[in-house]
Amino acid sequence: MSSAGLVVRVVERDIRILFSDSFLVGIMFANFCVDLFVTAATFSNLISSSYFLRIAPGSNFITAMVAAFQSGRDVWREKYIKDLASYLFTLPVPRRLFAASRIAGGVVRSVIATFPGTLVIAYLYGILFSPLLIEAYLIVGLFSLGIVGLSMAVSAFASSIEVFATVRSAIQLYLSFLSTIFYDASVFPAVVQPIVETNPMTWAMNAFRSLPGPGSALNSIAILTVPSLAFAALGMICYLWYAKL
Amino acid sequence: MSSSTILAKTSSDPTGQVSTSGLVWEMARRDILTLFRTPWIIISRSMAFVIQLFVFAYFISGMVVYPNFFQYYAVGSVVAMVASISFIIGYDIFEEAEEGLLDYLLTLPVSRRQFIIGRALGGAIRSMIYIIPMFVIVAVLEHFANPLSILAAVLDLFLLAFGVTGLSITMAVTVRSANRFDVTLALLDLAVTRISVALYPLTYLPNYVRLIAPYSPVTFASISVHDALIGTSLNATSLAGLLAFVAIFLVLGATIYFRRLEGGVYG
Repeated sequence: MSSAGLVVRVVERDIRILFSDSFLVGIMFANFCVDLFVTAATFSNLISSSYFLRIAPGSNFITAMVAAFQSGRDVWREKYIKDLASYLFTLPVPRRLFAASRIAGGVVRSVIATFPGTLVIAYLYGILFSPLLIEAYLIVGLFSLGIVGLSMAVSAFASSIEVFATVRSAIQLYLSFLSTIFYDASVFPAVVQPIVETNPMTWAMNAFRSLPGPGSALNSIAILTVPSLAFAALGMICYLWYAKL
Repeated sequence: MSSSTILAKTSSDPTGQVSTSGLVWEMARRDILTLFRTPWIIISRSMAFVIQLFVFAYFISGMVVYPNFFQYYAVGSVVAMVASISFIIGYDIFEEAEEGLLDYLLTLPVSRRQFIIGRALGGAIRSMIYIIPMFVIVAVLEHFANPLSILAAVLDLFLLAFGVTGLSITMAVTVRSANRFDVTLALLDLAVTRISVALYPLTYLPNYVRLIAPYSPVTFASISVHDALIGTSLNATSLAGLLAFVAIFLVLGATIYFRRLEGGVYG
């Protein structure tokens, strides 16, 4: 079988795992709805109506983040609970290709989980029936790529589910509150600003917010690609490293 | 300390008789000790509280139109955190069932009634132990010094913790898949805190949320705590709502737990 065929098989397996319980996808969308139609709507009342549009993409990226970490959690469960890791590495797929496919599978799962959410945000941004919708999905996919990589890296080192959940929680806090979802980087003290400005969530938010604007969002998308690829590479290295243990 | 050690100590009474309250307390003590054996949970929730209060609330307070929003959010974040931490007992119960530990626990010389009340009590007490440092931070920041007000607020928080523990036990014994349980509990946690007035005042909630929020247990606790700490008064209506929530979910959680364990036999 060709390499592409093998990748498709591994990605397909990951998608099947996601849909083995389609209730999960529904719950993730419900989470998105609470974030958008309760929290973001409340902030628009507390601050200004334009603030709703400003923070709306954040609800979708938070859902993408949850879905991406679900992939890492599945990898962790395969290793520690189901004892499947050894079996998976005996499959006739080169290990590097297998690791890359798992990351690709995680990204596809994340894009599927955020599919309706991205449509909702695209509608709010007035780009639902525009080619910019493809760019919107590209941004979500790139953001997910980085987070899937991070979650795979965490799953390789976390010896217990508590450690995994704690590191996940720390990363989620960093992505949510030390980014520009809710406020500009300029409100932070000068010392913290570089942390906020290099946050992948900041770049994803900037890219999404620039979509309906007059210029191209491709520059922002290109900036987001760099950390996403770096995190994906980290995830792949960690996944391969723990396979040797 | 393992549960077997705890019960061996209890049964070392020379008469061989252990009071009901003693057994309930031993079950509760086991859950409290479990929390301290898993410091990661404490670390992650503490991090969340500190960042939410000192980063998010601090910056957002400068942007919102509501006067003294930081104080409102600080008190509400303690209430929301109590609800959040009380859900953890459900994870423990779910894991015990998944790992086979529950079968062992059921062989202990403790009646099912004592077992469940002890677990709910343990879940509530450990939430309170966990939340006290955060409560102290908020009390110091906002200069809450009236002992009676603080006592009333702690009572409200305990009632909320007790009720949410019951709700969490209900979920743990109702949902079967681990992934499904994980995301369902996360959604429930998010929903009960966001669809309430704990973090945001009622008048600023969207209209559709304003219809439901007044009936949330977190709203009852939040209003009662705010009234006790800021208004220095007792809100009887909210307290009654909170008590009703505790009664409903404790009974519901216990009933479903019994049904799952014993096919409906009440031991």
